[in-house]
Amino acid sequence: MHEFAIATSLVEALFAIAKKQSSTKVIEVQLKVGKLRALSLDQLRFSYEVLSQGTLLQGSQLIIEETSGSARCPNCNYVQELPETGDFTYHFGLPRMNCPKCETPLILEGGDECLITKVRMVVPSERPEPGVPVGPAGAMDG
Amino acid sequence: MSREAEVITPSEGEVFDVELEVDLLRENQRIANENKNRLHSKGIQAIDVMGSVGSGKTSLIKTMVTRLKKTYRIAVIEGDVTTTIDSDLIASEGVPTVQVNTGKECHLDANLIRKALDIMNLDKLDLIFIENVGNLICPAEFPLGSEKRLVVISVTEGPYMVVKHPMMFLDAQTVAINKIDLAGAMEVDPNKLRADVTRLNPKAITVNTSCRSGAGIDEVVRSLGLKPA
Repeated sequence: MHEFAIATSLVEALFAIAKKQSSTKVIEVQLKVGKLRALSLDQLRFSYEVLSQGTLLQGSQLIIEETSGSARCPNCNYVQELPETGDFTYHFGLPRMNCPKCETPLILEGGDECLITKVRMVVPSERPEPGVPVGPAGAMDG
Repeated sequence: MSREAEVITPSEGEVFDVELEVDLLRENQRIANENKNRLHSKGIQAIDVMGSVGSGKTSLIKTMVTRLKKTYRIAVIEGDVTTTIDSDLIASEGVPTVQVNTGKECHLDANLIRKALDIMNLDKLDLIFIENVGNLICPAEFPLGSEKRLVVISVTEGPYMVVKHPMMFLDAQTVAINKIDLAGAMEVDPNKLRADVTRLNPKAITVNTSCRSGAGIDEVVRSLGLKPA
């Protein structure tokens, strides 16, 4: 949920990254989104497309890696991967959260990320070195 | 560098990859951590109260406040889209209350809580209850800076509130199954709800409660690490 709000954060973060590199066009953005985030990727993509219109993000490709996370036993270090079933049944059928070996409650690790991991963009061949101001003061603040 | 460097077309540029790890949810988490540290430094325990619409969150808080206000210096932050109905109810107990109206957001966020803390006298408090907007989905995604979570559902919502909203229950210390006096009339089995919670979160303590009769209230208080009066 809140895909539009997250898309807004995404777009703002990308503007800052692009500005830092003096980029004029972003080509590709890679995200890592955990399944436990309950984010609808379709809605996220749609929101991103809407917000990209008319900006240097327009036409850029969004590549999303979905991560599952796992559940780990703090007692015997047994690790259980969370199931790779479809969205509906995944959330409906979370695994039993006790360690099958020693019955200690498992701790969820990962699966709740929402990260930008890579941005591919066009930068001017003669761009200024980072740290050298281009125009009015603060242009390289990012 | 020449001014031409600022006016460039893509065909004259080079493709550049930046690898990083920018957390899109960092802002709320950062403020939540700030709130947590601030509360710690003042020796204040903060407890999130979340739950369905009309489950009895405010009644449960009011009942606990009545019993605890002699031994704890309590304040309550109330979250709703609009009105001061809930904070007015709690204020009748004579404890400081702050009403946060989100306007249209369906959940409280750390920034709103920070603003509430800014106008409270934190030096004169030991315990803060934060009642979130009635919603079993969204509040789970937005940490506020509290240490503990009490989730309130009631038998009048039917038997499926836990299985339909698993995320909310994963991080709960205590789950109150409220309006237990109506379980018979509703033909809802609280033991099944308890089993649903345990399957998701074996550490959570589930308590059958009734604000009208007082059933289970002390047990809820104890499960949150507080001392009943």
